[in-house]
Amino acid sequence: MDWDQFDLNPRTIAALKKADIKSVKEILNLSGADLQRLMKLSSADIQCLLKTVSHTLRRNSMLTALQLYQDKDHFTSQHQKLSLGCSVLDNLLKGGIPVVGITELAGESSAGKTQISLQLCLCVQYPYKYGGLESGAVYICTEDVFPSKRLQQLIDQQHKLRADVPAEIIQKIRFGNSIFVERAADLDSFQQCITRRLSLLLARGMVRLVVIDSIAALFRCEFGPAESALKARYLQTFGAQLHSLSTKFRTPIMCINQSVTMANSAALSHSVVTPGVVGSRVTPALGITWSNQLLMRLMVSRISLPRHSPGAASHYTGSMRTLSVVFAPHLPPSFCYYTVQLEGVKGIR
Amino acid sequence: MQREVGTLPLAPALRARLSAAGFQTAQELLDTGPCGLSKEIGISREEALEALQVVRQECHGDAARTAGGSGATRKCTALELLEEEQSQGFIITFCSALDNILGGGVQLTKITEICGAPGVGKTQLCMQLAVDVQIPECFGGVAGEAVFIDTEGSFMVDRVVDIAAACVQHCHLIAEAQQEEDHREALETFSLENILSHIYYFRCRDYTELLAQVYLLPEFLSEHSKVRLVVIDGIAFPFRHDFEDLSLRTRLLNGLAQQLIIIANDHKSAVVLTNQMTTRIGQSQSTLVPALGESWGHAATVRLIFHWDNSQRLATLYKSPSQKESTIAYHITSHGFRDVQPPAVTHSTERAELNPRKRPRPEEEK
Repeated sequence: MDWDQFDLNPRTIAALKKADIKSVKEILNLSGADLQRLMKLSSADIQCLLKTVSHTLRRNSMLTALQLYQDKDHFTSQHQKLSLGCSVLDNLLKGGIPVVGITELAGESSAGKTQISLQLCLCVQYPYKYGGLESGAVYICTEDVFPSKRLQQLIDQQHKLRADVPAEIIQKIRFGNSIFVERAADLDSFQQCITRRLSLLLARGMVRLVVIDSIAALFRCEFGPAESALKARYLQTFGAQLHSLSTKFRTPIMCINQSVTMANSAALSHSVVTPGVVGSRVTPALGITWSNQLLMRLMVSRISLPRHSPGAASHYTGSMRTLSVVFAPHLPPSFCYYTVQLEGVKGIR
Repeated sequence: MQREVGTLPLAPALRARLSAAGFQTAQELLDTGPCGLSKEIGISREEALEALQVVRQECHGDAARTAGGSGATRKCTALELLEEEQSQGFIITFCSALDNILGGGVQLTKITEICGAPGVGKTQLCMQLAVDVQIPECFGGVAGEAVFIDTEGSFMVDRVVDIAAACVQHCHLIAEAQQEEDHREALETFSLENILSHIYYFRCRDYTELLAQVYLLPEFLSEHSKVRLVVIDGIAFPFRHDFEDLSLRTRLLNGLAQQLIIIANDHKSAVVLTNQMTTRIGQSQSTLVPALGESWGHAATVRLIFHWDNSQRLATLYKSPSQKESTIAYHITSHGFRDVQPPAVTHSTERAELNPRKRPRPEEEK
């Protein structure tokens, strides 16, 4: 660290070099008294050092809420969201997935989580005007093989799903080229994937969506009940790494989680009453340690309606599914219905 | 003048040399003069001059302090403290049940900690308080500004806009019902843009940035003297990973707590922190407890724990020096933090007695 470029007293700079302090982090990690002893300076000098160093780290970092509200720029605005490709689902989420933060999609098996993720991988490639982020996606598979046939079906049918987008724009996008599929079957390879390949792709601007399908699979088998502290550490480390990548590159991270049914609902600190499913308490896997890392949690579930139900539902054969918002800082708990069709996931009004 | 050499703000090595040479009070140092000093302890003339300057400043400062009466150490009676506390403002939360168990609202000059599982409403309350601190005095608020330090990225400005709009609407209703001149005047400046422009937002991405930001806060608060609320949303998040050495974490958290206490007192602001919950595995069962360990529990003056009971949100006052432990239910609506049912009419007259500065609010039409 080049201390000469800081606006400090030459005596302080000399003391810093002599005490072999190499970074701002080291300075802030020491208490005032420790710094005095280490650098042999008076408390006034140390206070001045701390203020100068903090100023340099936090220069120009203040914004008012009004500035945040009025900022409509694509690259920095909070209003920027990644659309799901369907206006009903986007309305539920007030625009779509927030661009900074980890969003979780939890639910029982075959409820439609992979379908929604695949749809997002296509939506992210559209221009900003149509709710996309003009970039590709990384899909990290941890259990099943990547559903490439289904992806191809979805690509072929994009013009049908996205009737709001002019056909020439859809034709110009090479959907398959911008989806990078990674495999990570255990924790070590997952760690490698995040720290090496993901950072590289993000730094080059080639992707602006990360899908992890699924995060639960990495942790289910490897940790017994006695190793819960170690599991929690891994979860926190991964959560922090993903969070910092998301913040640095303004990239939404979509984690797919499985859910477990709890027999004893009294043990739950927070349970979700899924609409339409009577008597069951499904809760996402991985516990509160993982929930603490999330910005937003969505749950999907399958419900089968009786044949002669009134309203729009009667048009649709097969089962309907629900997408519900469990928690989000900007959304109330709410849900909507959707179906999975050939062209993709579509909400029902 | 009789100050002992050991208490002067000089470099520790210099102090050690002075004590070894036999100097005991500041007066002796000043009498010796720079030449004599440099000969006695073997330092250069410049260093001796500087040291004497520091000593002179300190003694000057001491004299001013004892003469003025106010400053670092002042004496006052418990009665004076009581009067001061009673006239202290509270930041209301718009949930009268919560305000009641807190004794009026979130208190200025104290640190309040809000703990809870994800999704229970901690960030919502923080956003509500950042708006409510700005309510003009004629409506029962403290007319202050807010600093919001976000470590998790959960501050969504659209939500703050909804909360602020509902608050302005509420004040408009009161003004219409009461038809008083100062209400109308206050409402001219209490608008959505004004509220948003007085919430100062800082985003800290790791604990080093957070520490640096807290070092800079006193200066910021001196420049923006109307700030009455400092929110740190997510004090746990940056401290719960990345720490191989937990004793370092405890030390940093303690230092942070001390700085926040000083800030709260010196600038008459409320400090609100949000904390996560973690599982503590006991002998027969596991319970949820606030994160960051036992020693962190001493940092906050008031501790609130938010939790669920089936699908009802509950708030428990877990720690408070003056209020008893109790639990109430609350709701989060599109307007923000609210009661479960509309408050009873008797509440407003009770409150007028508790805090004479506030005027009673009429019954709100729901």
